[in-house]
Amino acid sequence: MRELGGFIMNILKRSILIILAIVMTLSIVGCTTKPEIETPENLEPVEEPENEVVEEPKFEPIVITDHLGREVTIEERPERIVSGYYITSSMLIALGLEDNVVGIEAKANSRPIYSLAAPQLLDLPNVGTAKEFNLEGCIALEPDLVILPIKLKDSVKSLEDLGIKVIAVNPEDMDLLKETIIMIGKATDNEDKANELIAYYDEKISEINKVIDVDNKKKVYLGGNSDFLSTATGKMYQNYMIETAGAINVASEIDDTYWATISYEQLLNYNPDVIIIVPEADYTKEDILNDEKLAPLTAVQNGEIYEMPESFEAWDSPVPSGILGTMWLTSILNEENYSFDTFKEDVADFYNVFYNFSVDKELITK
Amino acid sequence: MSKKSFVQLFLAILILLTVSIISIGIGRYPISIEDIFKIIFNVEVDTTTRMVFFGLRLPRIIMAIIAGIGLSMAGSVYQTIFKNPLATPDIIGVSSGANLGAAVAIIYLSGGTRTIAVAAFVGGIIAVFTAIGLTRLSNYGGISTFVLAGIVIGSITEGLIMMMKFFADPEKQLAAMEFWAMGSFAGITEDKVISIIPYFIIGIATLILLRWQINILSLNDDEGKSLGIPVEMIRFVVIIAATLVVASIVSVTGLIAFIGLIAPHIGRMITKRNDFYTTIFSGLIGGIILVIADCLARSLSSSEIPISILTTFIGAPFLAYLMSRQR
Repeated sequence: MRELGGFIMNILKRSILIILAIVMTLSIVGCTTKPEIETPENLEPVEEPENEVVEEPKFEPIVITDHLGREVTIEERPERIVSGYYITSSMLIALGLEDNVVGIEAKANSRPIYSLAAPQLLDLPNVGTAKEFNLEGCIALEPDLVILPIKLKDSVKSLEDLGIKVIAVNPEDMDLLKETIIMIGKATDNEDKANELIAYYDEKISEINKVIDVDNKKKVYLGGNSDFLSTATGKMYQNYMIETAGAINVASEIDDTYWATISYEQLLNYNPDVIIIVPEADYTKEDILNDEKLAPLTAVQNGEIYEMPESFEAWDSPVPSGILGTMWLTSILNEENYSFDTFKEDVADFYNVFYNFSVDKELITK
Repeated sequence: MSKKSFVQLFLAILILLTVSIISIGIGRYPISIEDIFKIIFNVEVDTTTRMVFFGLRLPRIIMAIIAGIGLSMAGSVYQTIFKNPLATPDIIGVSSGANLGAAVAIIYLSGGTRTIAVAAFVGGIIAVFTAIGLTRLSNYGGISTFVLAGIVIGSITEGLIMMMKFFADPEKQLAAMEFWAMGSFAGITEDKVISIIPYFIIGIATLILLRWQINILSLNDDEGKSLGIPVEMIRFVVIIAATLVVASIVSVTGLIAFIGLIAPHIGRMITKRNDFYTTIFSGLIGGIILVIADCLARSLSSSEIPISILTTFIGAPFLAYLMSRQR
């Protein structure tokens, strides 16, 4: 009996081991493949009927020429969008498409606009940065449309070969930003909203033109991020911002396309009337005021040093709310014609209309 | 010192002074020759002009001279004690350590220039002490152990820097790290120069005092010991002195490429000797090259050109020219 019992126990033990092994193998396979297959299937049926009910008109196929000169034909309204660039991610919020975004660029939590306007984006998988694009991660999200900066043209090619629709954008200045907005507006069947945003820019620019004092332009120096001796050159968006606000960029003669480093002597020679510090700089207004080498500057003597607010978006760059940076600077340079309180109202309106959140006006500083 | 050596040294000092004086008149803030004479003879002059002259222009040229002398002498001494013509001040990791320190300051301490300088200095010193500590792990205490330890430290710091670059914000931090690693005199002010002068003087004075022992170190270790020299002790002190000099310089200027390698070679080709006199002569050559390079860096365009670009483009052709003249 004992021998028989031992024999049965042995068989039992072995079969338990075999079953365990099978279960484990299955669960490993399950872990790796299941979510990839199931999530899209689960998500799509939920979203599609809703969208189809709301938007009656049929989507007309459209051909878009992107900033790499590629012609992309969009046949269906994209429901799953991946944005690998912070400017276009923010743009998708402004166009009211945040619920269609299924993947965004890395380090999204460093940009306050997401937590303010669309916190759900922060939980999305990231597809890497412009340096290290996560091609497989992007494909796994099964996007209908991928928006990438032109820097990633190799990845654009790879995605295209897989039959995924990609638009490469290069919003480096105001005109290219507008083009990008139109491009994405068209591709996502949201042209009305895109036109609304652009109309807002045009309206504000013409208001700014009425406010600025063309005969008495102030000299502005824009201190860059890492050091106040780095500055925006004549070929950068920041130069456009300063000029649009009715001022002269003292460093516009430099024709580098990237932040240039200058010397103390050069800054003293420029002798700006106003110094502007970009958002999220590594130094503060006090550092400039306390630097005795800079004491002779007109801007320092008159206390005309301002820090751009950093609680929303990098207003000094061509982001969708970048127009606010130009308006901020206009208000600082022409307080009597465009008061800072009016500017705060404008900011609140802008984010209310396009980003659907109410602004804490305390955060709008100078 | 032979008469020929004396003439060579005198000429080198004369050229260094000449280029320094010429470069005093060159810079982005307009200071006329008339102003300079007024300042020299203490005649009343615009306060800003005076401040620019004493607070910025003069310190910058002095810093270029200090950096040239310091890096070149350290390079020359290292080439001697490591018996390796390719040795640079970085051979046991001081520059890579400083680079790592600066990177940490840029990324984690969101560093202003002062924080970066302190972190770079500390990083350089820690790297060298770690390398020296590593040599203790080996039973054989010879120079190749130092070189190996330097390679280990260099690779580890390189790896850490790459990791930080990967996580760095490409628009801001990455650029700051890259620029730091190319060096610049743009941010030099008198307080920065004053703050590093003690380390520079202690380091250089130690090297000069040990000049005789340094020559002995270029021989076989056993020969040195038979001459009654505590070889390992002296090597340790020389490395610490050179590290002090290099770490203090690069902490305020950022990395300056090539000068510590090329100036000693140029020095040796001109003097045709290989002793401590050549080390001093190399220091003067380094000073001349850096003063000229910095003068170009600040005057070629409105934006500053990183100094390493110019040291490479000035130094390398000169070295090639001297090579072509050697048989």
